[in-house]
Amino acid sequence: MLTALFFGVPSAWIVERTNLPHKGLSFTLMTVGLLIPGFLSAMGWVFLLHPRIGLVNVALSSVLSAEWARINIASPVGMGFVQGLGLAPLAFIMVAATFRSTNPELEEAAAAHGIGFIRSLIRVTLPLIFPGILAAGIYILTIGLAAFEVPAVIGLSNRVFTFSTYLYTQVHPQEGAPRYDLAAAFGVFTMAVAGLLSWAYFRVLRQGHRYAVVTGRSYRPRQVDLTRGGVWLAWGFLGFYFVLGQLLPLLTLLWSSFLRYFQLPSAAAFANLSLVNYRGLPWPHLLDGLWNTAVLMILVSTLVLLVSLAISWIVVRSKARWRFLLDAVAFLPHAVPGIIFALSAAYVALFLLRDFVPIYGTVFLIMAVYVLERTSFGTRMLNNALAQIHPELEEAGQVMGISLLRRMATILIPLLLPALVNGWLWIALLTYRELTIASLLVTPANVTLPMVIWGLWQTGSFARAAAAATMGLIFMTPFIFCYWFFGRRLAPGGWQA
Amino acid sequence: MIRIEQLKKSFSSRAGKVQALRDVDLAIEPGEFFVLLGPSGSGKTTLLRCVAGLERPDSGEITLGTRVAFSSKQRLFLQAEEREIGMVFQSYAIWPHLTVFENVALPLTQGRRKPPKARVRERVSEALRLVEMDDYADRPAPLLSGGQQQRVALARALAINPKVLLMDEPLSNLDARLREEVRTKIKKLVGELGVTVLYVTHDQVEAMVLADRIAVMAHGEILQVGNPYELYRNPKSPLVAEFFGSINWIRGKILDKYCVETEIGKLEIDFRGEPNGKVVVGIRPEDMKIDSTAGDRSNRVEATVSSSTFVGDQIIFEIRINNSVLTAKAKPEGKSPAGKVSLYFPKEKMVVFPDVSPPHLSLSRVIVGEDRLKD
Repeated sequence: MLTALFFGVPSAWIVERTNLPHKGLSFTLMTVGLLIPGFLSAMGWVFLLHPRIGLVNVALSSVLSAEWARINIASPVGMGFVQGLGLAPLAFIMVAATFRSTNPELEEAAAAHGIGFIRSLIRVTLPLIFPGILAAGIYILTIGLAAFEVPAVIGLSNRVFTFSTYLYTQVHPQEGAPRYDLAAAFGVFTMAVAGLLSWAYFRVLRQGHRYAVVTGRSYRPRQVDLTRGGVWLAWGFLGFYFVLGQLLPLLTLLWSSFLRYFQLPSAAAFANLSLVNYRGLPWPHLLDGLWNTAVLMILVSTLVLLVSLAISWIVVRSKARWRFLLDAVAFLPHAVPGIIFALSAAYVALFLLRDFVPIYGTVFLIMAVYVLERTSFGTRMLNNALAQIHPELEEAGQVMGISLLRRMATILIPLLLPALVNGWLWIALLTYRELTIASLLVTPANVTLPMVIWGLWQTGSFARAAAAATMGLIFMTPFIFCYWFFGRRLAPGGWQA
Repeated sequence: MIRIEQLKKSFSSRAGKVQALRDVDLAIEPGEFFVLLGPSGSGKTTLLRCVAGLERPDSGEITLGTRVAFSSKQRLFLQAEEREIGMVFQSYAIWPHLTVFENVALPLTQGRRKPPKARVRERVSEALRLVEMDDYADRPAPLLSGGQQQRVALARALAINPKVLLMDEPLSNLDARLREEVRTKIKKLVGELGVTVLYVTHDQVEAMVLADRIAVMAHGEILQVGNPYELYRNPKSPLVAEFFGSINWIRGKILDKYCVETEIGKLEIDFRGEPNGKVVVGIRPEDMKIDSTAGDRSNRVEATVSSSTFVGDQIIFEIRINNSVLTAKAKPEGKSPAGKVSLYFPKEKMVVFPDVSPPHLSLSRVIVGEDRLKD
């Protein structure tokens, strides 16, 4: 969490409040991390900092020949660091929104009364956005608590457990029968802690609204003019994060995928580069995973958007009395850690539905859980998008005799299209990178691509896992590009102009 | 054409239940230009939306032509799309993803009565010609100016040949000069088409220019219905008088019939009331005559001009009599009066109401605000 805030808050300030050139690029640098699966960068970090084979550690010890210099990534601090790098984009987005909604006039007032820039940053700006930062911190803490991917990749093989990985070992033990009872008890405990944190989050958020400056007129936040050196510094900071958070681990991953066993980059190592790992991949299994993942991406995104559109429309447009309840229910999965969600879904499928709906072990169980979980995100997004479309646009159609379904087809959906396309790609990418939920629900019959990679990793075939991961990255590149492309072109609310 | 009986509608808000409409009765003749006038929150837009079918009233009855559109007794509610009306919204509600032509055509191609394709083209072109937008047919909607969007909205509402046209403050988003221009065009256009119009506004000048008849609304009730002249000259309540142009209020007490003792002296009036009854006397600034020899000797009061403001077509005077301050207006002719003057109050121009409660006077500030001076 500290790592996330350390990188997230200053970058948010840089992007929102300075006149840094090429804002779009800097925004992309910060947010692309949300789309790249966390377990991939975690794998990269293991190659870099593993106590025995880690690139940096080997290099350090060969230069310094000192055992104490070895950095152990497989420790709570190390895992926290990697997880924090992964969550920094989230912190960035949340805090950036806070920066955007603070009235620059408050800062201008400070400037007009002779308070210097640094002083006004510390005494005026920071206290103003403090609730926003605190909320982001608590939110990230909640996610970190239930985070599975990073601890699973880094910690599990070294028997360093966290909440979620411990839960996983109870359900998928290496030997003996699954301890569902223990897992359930443990899950309830995790959920209580997560619930507590969510509660704190909403409290802080509500307090934060006291400072929120709500004015009808739009204003442009004041931007700080950067000097030449400042531009370099800002880019350096953003670049540093990007290299550390994404580029370095992914390149390491790529590097190791071409090597039979892991070694430092050197002339000898280059000579050893080969495709042997790729040839050694369990291709049928991998293609199964790829196929299942593709099916999931398409079905989940489409279903989530359909369900979310229906819910959001009722919540935002109708006057039904129970609409707020519906909204709350749709949002509920957000507060439940994904791993708990998956666990309970497994219980329901195994013990309640086993006989009449044999859904366990099929891709549809995973799909159902994904849809439930992502709907909370989908409704949030569509609520916002719908609120930006003036209700009179629909009413105009209604008064002139156009029926509800036709209104949806000819007016509402075309207007929402940017948001829908964006949301579809976003959910598809989230589905692609999902490991947490899948890890509890997967059986050999419904394996997903991330699970194949992780399976290789778990059984110690690090190099082949890296090869599979590289394949996975290649597969998702066009989607990321699409998202980036459409996200810029069809920004939600782009019609407003 | 439109009959509204005993219409009730309430909203529940965080502050509790709000009565938006209390037993509203209204009958609008075919071909009539009818304006609902009132301050914001008076229920005029709610009433319009009930007629459109966008709000469901709590009880009462709405008849459009010969069709019952809503009746709480018969448990009947026609959906908006079944009512076959045209409507122009305050925001214009021009669909931004379509061109001008497509905007006007969409209700025809997707609506309930679908004319053949060739007929659609004809009708759209005709409607666009009516509002002089036929040169812009292929233009994407977001590229239109406010005034053009307003015209497209009108064309779209007229293209379906509605018997009833509803307009919700259609001119409030235009600048003052354009508003005057569009105002006259709308009046002429709907007059030629013979369509029945129900029009909502908070601008009394707009209402007077456009309307055959006006209903003044406040607090969910209709205070008075009449043509512009009646409402200006014979308001039935101080609130209506306030709403049609500025007016001076003078408190007084009836001495005997036709005579009232006021803060500024004795005045003869056209009003019969109980002796000793408390009244307020209202007179419009332009109806007071300064230093005029016209009229009889009574109803003349010694006064002092404390300031005068020249605003072009007229001069606005602030006049003191004892402790009261009145506003008077006059055409700027000859030498402008100053200092001590004699002020004449024509008997037939004064309106008198029982002084039920002082809030009337403070209410005037709330309703009228400052913008009266701009007109």
